[in-house]
Amino acid sequence: MDVWSSLMDGFATALTPMNFLYAVIGVILGTAVGVLPGLGPAMTVALLLPVTYALEPTSAFIMFAGIYYGGMYGGSTTSILLNTPGESSSVVTAIEGNKMAKAGRAAQALATAAIGSFVAGTIGTALLAVCAPIVVKFAVSLGAPSYFAIMVLALLAVTAVLGSSRLRGFASLGLGLAIGLVGMDSVTGQRRLTFGQPLLADGLDIVVVAVAIFAVGEALWVAAHLRRTPLHAIPVGQPWMGKSDWKRSWKPWLRGTAFGFPFGALPAGGAEIPTFLSYVTEKRLSKNPEEFGNGAIEGVAGPEAANNAAAAGTLTPMLALGLPTNATAAVMLAAFTSYGIQPGPQLFTSEGPLVWALIASLFIGNLLLLIINLPLAPMWAKLLQLPRPYLYAGILFFATLGAYSVNLQAFDLVILLVLGALGFMMRRFGLPVLPLILGVILGPRIEGQLRKTLQLSAGDPAGLFGEPIAVGIYVIIALILLWPFAYKLFRRNRPVAAPAGKAESGGAAALARDADDTVHSNHSAVYSDHKEQP
Amino acid sequence: MTSLTTGLKGRSELGVSLLLGAAGVLVFLDANGLVTPYSKSDPVGPKTVPFIVAGMLVVCAVLLAINVLRGGKGEAEGGEDVDLAHPADWKTILPLAGAFVANILLIDWAGWVISGTVLFWGSVLALGSRHFVRDGLISVALSLLTFYGFYLGLGIALPAGLLEGIL
Amino acid sequence: MTVVVGYVPTPEGEAALTQAITEARKNNSTLVLINSSKGESTVDNRFAPEGEIQDIEQRLASQGIQYLIKRPVRGHDAAAEVLDAAEEHKADLIVIGLRRRTPVGKLIMGSTSQRILLEADCPVLAVKAG
Repeated sequence: MDVWSSLMDGFATALTPMNFLYAVIGVILGTAVGVLPGLGPAMTVALLLPVTYALEPTSAFIMFAGIYYGGMYGGSTTSILLNTPGESSSVVTAIEGNKMAKAGRAAQALATAAIGSFVAGTIGTALLAVCAPIVVKFAVSLGAPSYFAIMVLALLAVTAVLGSSRLRGFASLGLGLAIGLVGMDSVTGQRRLTFGQPLLADGLDIVVVAVAIFAVGEALWVAAHLRRTPLHAIPVGQPWMGKSDWKRSWKPWLRGTAFGFPFGALPAGGAEIPTFLSYVTEKRLSKNPEEFGNGAIEGVAGPEAANNAAAAGTLTPMLALGLPTNATAAVMLAAFTSYGIQPGPQLFTSEGPLVWALIASLFIGNLLLLIINLPLAPMWAKLLQLPRPYLYAGILFFATLGAYSVNLQAFDLVILLVLGALGFMMRRFGLPVLPLILGVILGPRIEGQLRKTLQLSAGDPAGLFGEPIAVGIYVIIALILLWPFAYKLFRRNRPVAAPAGKAESGGAAALARDADDTVHSNHSAVYSDHKEQP
Repeated sequence: MTSLTTGLKGRSELGVSLLLGAAGVLVFLDANGLVTPYSKSDPVGPKTVPFIVAGMLVVCAVLLAINVLRGGKGEAEGGEDVDLAHPADWKTILPLAGAFVANILLIDWAGWVISGTVLFWGSVLALGSRHFVRDGLISVALSLLTFYGFYLGLGIALPAGLLEGIL
Repeated sequence: MTVVVGYVPTPEGEAALTQAITEARKNNSTLVLINSSKGESTVDNRFAPEGEIQDIEQRLASQGIQYLIKRPVRGHDAAAEVLDAAEEHKADLIVIGLRRRTPVGKLIMGSTSQRILLEADCPVLAVKAG
């Protein structure tokens, strides 16, 4: 099979000592970053973007992918051992995982999380390897109109569906598009938004923007609100599982994977919904549902698998279509751009060996992560005792260093500061960051496709609807935009709508929001059957 | 007191509205100044997308202002290390920003080793660390390490500034 | 009469607390328990979890001891907090737990107990675990 032989070639590249080393570095960094509070894979990849100027693309992406997967593993360690998890996709793991840890079963919780993540990651990556070429084959037949429509869909889906306020999402998107406009217009060569500053003529370097928004903005924000009361980490020995734990875990692993991958692959799917769905499903299917809320191992196994499968799923549209569906994928896309590699369906043909080496190293990375996380989890937990001044000072230090090294211009640091302040303001006022970064990355490409479409149709707007796929996508877009209005109307007409159904779909959003609101009290409105003492 | 604070907070989010509106106007004015001879190969022109973006920003600004005045609020982002119960800690942020600016000013003429030291040392100080000597040593070490590391490992020569010749 | 005890959720801290309770009962003193943290890192295992503090409160109440539990988190180290509290509450006695250290350990790490012993204005009772 063609996929098989490409994959084998990919393994050959990924297993060279150099690339293997980068994979190791990536997974170690990723786990560390996942464990540490305040950091995340997106920020780490952003901080490392500058090194792309010195590394081979294959090595760099192998490292980034390691960081991405590693972040998932590290995050689950923290959410089990601490009682206030960070990333919203780890919230669900924490519900049962932390309870298990408090009951002295931390080792089992960590084990099921790590092994489940491995299973899901491996299956997910295999699905990625199979599905991506299929998507590519389909996508290559698309012309500029359809491609334009898909990109608009991706942008809108992220903006309008994720996050609690669509309005703010659109505002963020607008700002991102505006930032993307700075510089020379690709077609006519005229300067836009440069205000006579020659240094802006090349536009704002995506690396600087990513570092500013993700790293500097985050560091400033956390610095302004450092948690004062320290948390207590539950001590744990080496993770392991008993026979009955294995028996109870393996099916949730598989079910979680089934939930996670498709949602990860959808634009605006994300990892929150599948982890939530997995939890609810496991609770329904469990033979001991009363255990849920007190440390049921299925409640850790399923969501963790869903989490990692979603991560693999996210890479499918990223590699096949050049569409990012979460922050880390967006930053990795920025890395592609800074290498001058055009992301999109042609990526598989133009950079085939790179992509397959990347996919192969994902398999390797998963295995490495299992190996370093299972025996070493207690050691990773010790990282949480790192004094925060060093952590955040370090972030600012490396952000500055990275941004400066792009062009060796102090001016870039001014941009870093200004955009960092913007990132701070956005976090303060609840403007989601993802639409902005997508706007910066996708904006120029969307504009390019739009102009190409209308150029082909010689200025006739009907050209936008030239392809059937494009029309279909516009219908979907219309649905997404009109959905909340239709929903409100629907509710007014049928006030006694099925509460169970609403609770399920509203629960995910509520859970995600609750995760932010109730960081301290660690209880969620949906599960009112257990009261937690903070 | 609560109504005053909420009133003030509401007003501060109006600042965001203002920013969006200003950005929109800026984009519009800048795009307006572009020259666009109609061309068959580029019917869209360089002005169209900026106009759309400007329009979007202004519309969002207005809608956001309405939303805020009606009582809507953007939720501040939470996280593991974040305690949102207290307002922003300016005593931390301003010195941090100060360290950052100091670095920007120093980096080209004093060199990375010095400016990086100032940056790191200033940052840990701002964030509350009290081990002055230890922090200073770590700062210098980091700056030196990255200076040489970037040159030897990545081929990027950071400015040596005042220490030119010694390094 | 006031007894100040520096508490950490370790066997040494436990021993100190037990001793402090005994001392407090001798003269019907108020027991001031200090469990502080610099608040520098996300996790500080020397900062007792909420549940443990509640257990301690119950224990003190059931023994009929007047107590005051303070958990300052303001960037100061433990020795400073204990000494501060002793000064503030005019302590008659400070009780602390001692950890056995290897000779090298004594060299490398600053000793909280040493500082308290040397700088306190009142008598200090140092207790070992077990």
